[in-house]
Amino acid sequence: MNAIEISNLKRQFKTTIGVIKRQTKEVIAVDGITFDIHAGELFGLLGPNGAGKTTTIKMLTTLLIPSSGTATIMGLDVVKDAEKIRPRIGFIFGGERGLYWRLSGFDNLRYFATLYYVDTNIAKKKIPELIELVGLKGREKEKVEGYSRGMRQRLHIARALLHDPEVLFLDEPTMGLDPVGAREMRMTIRDLQSAKKTILLTTHYMFEADALCERIAVINKGKIVALNTPAKLKHTVQDLSIIEIEIFGIPPDFLEKVRNLEFVDSVAVETRDQRQILLIHTPKGPSAISDLVEVLNGLRLGKIVTREPTLEDAYVRLVGGKL
Amino acid sequence: MVKEIKDTLRIIGMSFEIELRQNLTDGFVLFGIVIQPLIVAFMALWMLKDKGPDYAIFVVVGSAMTGLWTTLLFNGGNSITGERWSGTLESLVGAPSSLRIVVFGKVLANITQSLLSMIGCYTLISLAMGYPLTLSRPIFFLISILLTVFAFVGFGVIIASLFILIPDFQRLQNTLEFPIYILCGFLFPIALLPGWTTPFSYILSPYWAARSLHGSARGTLEINQIFISWTLLIIFSVVYIIGSSALYRLVLKRARVDATLNTTG
Repeated sequence: MNAIEISNLKRQFKTTIGVIKRQTKEVIAVDGITFDIHAGELFGLLGPNGAGKTTTIKMLTTLLIPSSGTATIMGLDVVKDAEKIRPRIGFIFGGERGLYWRLSGFDNLRYFATLYYVDTNIAKKKIPELIELVGLKGREKEKVEGYSRGMRQRLHIARALLHDPEVLFLDEPTMGLDPVGAREMRMTIRDLQSAKKTILLTTHYMFEADALCERIAVINKGKIVALNTPAKLKHTVQDLSIIEIEIFGIPPDFLEKVRNLEFVDSVAVETRDQRQILLIHTPKGPSAISDLVEVLNGLRLGKIVTREPTLEDAYVRLVGGKL
Repeated sequence: MVKEIKDTLRIIGMSFEIELRQNLTDGFVLFGIVIQPLIVAFMALWMLKDKGPDYAIFVVVGSAMTGLWTTLLFNGGNSITGERWSGTLESLVGAPSSLRIVVFGKVLANITQSLLSMIGCYTLISLAMGYPLTLSRPIFFLISILLTVFAFVGFGVIIASLFILIPDFQRLQNTLEFPIYILCGFLFPIALLPGWTTPFSYILSPYWAARSLHGSARGTLEINQIFISWTLLIIFSVVYIIGSSALYRLVLKRARVDATLNTTG
């Protein structure tokens, strides 16, 4: 059974430009996407900034009305049955907004428990349990404005779980968390998955999607460009090897030169501190290094490594951009 | 049905409490509730001190009502704008409870808080300046105060919907402040206005609140006239509250089409 069904979903936004001669411009944020999510599945939606991930989630959480197409949650239409859907879903949007900063974490939860019709006696038991689950015990009576980013993010999770929803929408839940906080959050998500919740997760972190998601859809410029299991997505780049070259300063026309080499499938650049890591995808394997000598001549280089492709490489190939 | 009523009252109570708690930690709101009414009450009574002692209660009631309206317009409106900026408006809309009921609780909190502050400030300044604050019909006045809260809350729920619908509505706040003072006869009788404005006054529930408060305070209205004011106040407030149900459905649909529930789209 499918918990979420999306068919040809599209969303446009109107923006105005200019002051005297005002012009209306239409921007397509989501462009006719179609996919299903099975009940109890942890499904990942990956894509670069502005790809349409958050807009998709906002349509599914009944906060935006689609321009066209349909979407159902547990068989209920997101436009016509919005009021019936709301008690059955929980959502968090990445970042620190969406909470009452001048109230304590405890009062935030008490307020939302009321808004979600959680029975007073159940709320009295559930709120301390959730506070413990998300690791805020001992800090719950402090104002949210004094919380760290990670604590606010965890409070968001607790808020979304108050009414024990069947479907959860987690929009970049680990954004801005430190490594320990992010790991704890991933463990919480795994626990929710074990509890048979249907979860739609968006993230920028490929290893996170790889580790957590049963299936992944890659969205770029509003369109779904790939949908499969992490293993099968990785398989799409199985024919390739990845050569990582550490470079200190890339000349302007250098990337174009590498891209035009016959044995190069795609090229991406990752910046780490003052170094740049050139990621070359090639079917030729380690032997391609010797062919690269000519174009690398004169550059200040660091380590050169050849490795097997990861989900991130599949993603880079699919969205075709720089990291 | 009983459960629905219980749930609705619980939501109103909780949003009332949350709004109150937030106001009490906001310096700007506290200034508007405590300091500003003291200054305005002092100035109003000082300016009109030569009008005679029976005029004092008219000034007190009228000024307090202008304060009430200003609080409703600014605190109530800013509270919705604040929810949008902090990203909580989406959380409220995405929750199963009715946003209209939540707003009702918020407006009720602002009005109650402001009313208590007005009563305190004006009584304090009047006593300090030696003004006798005698009420002609104290029981009628007290009932009128309770109904005034009802009238302002009903009106406030309608006004708040405009802040939900139009993100820039804050810009129009100042322009709305004086027309309501004038049309509702807070500080002078509407008989002084051109005849064509009278129907507008009659459809505003705060006008009937002002009329019953002034009339019962100064004894300028007969008992049956006070009853008529109360009846019309209740009718218009009920119409606002019932009408707001359809209005909020329209407003929320529009906001979901126009993507105006959040500042980040």
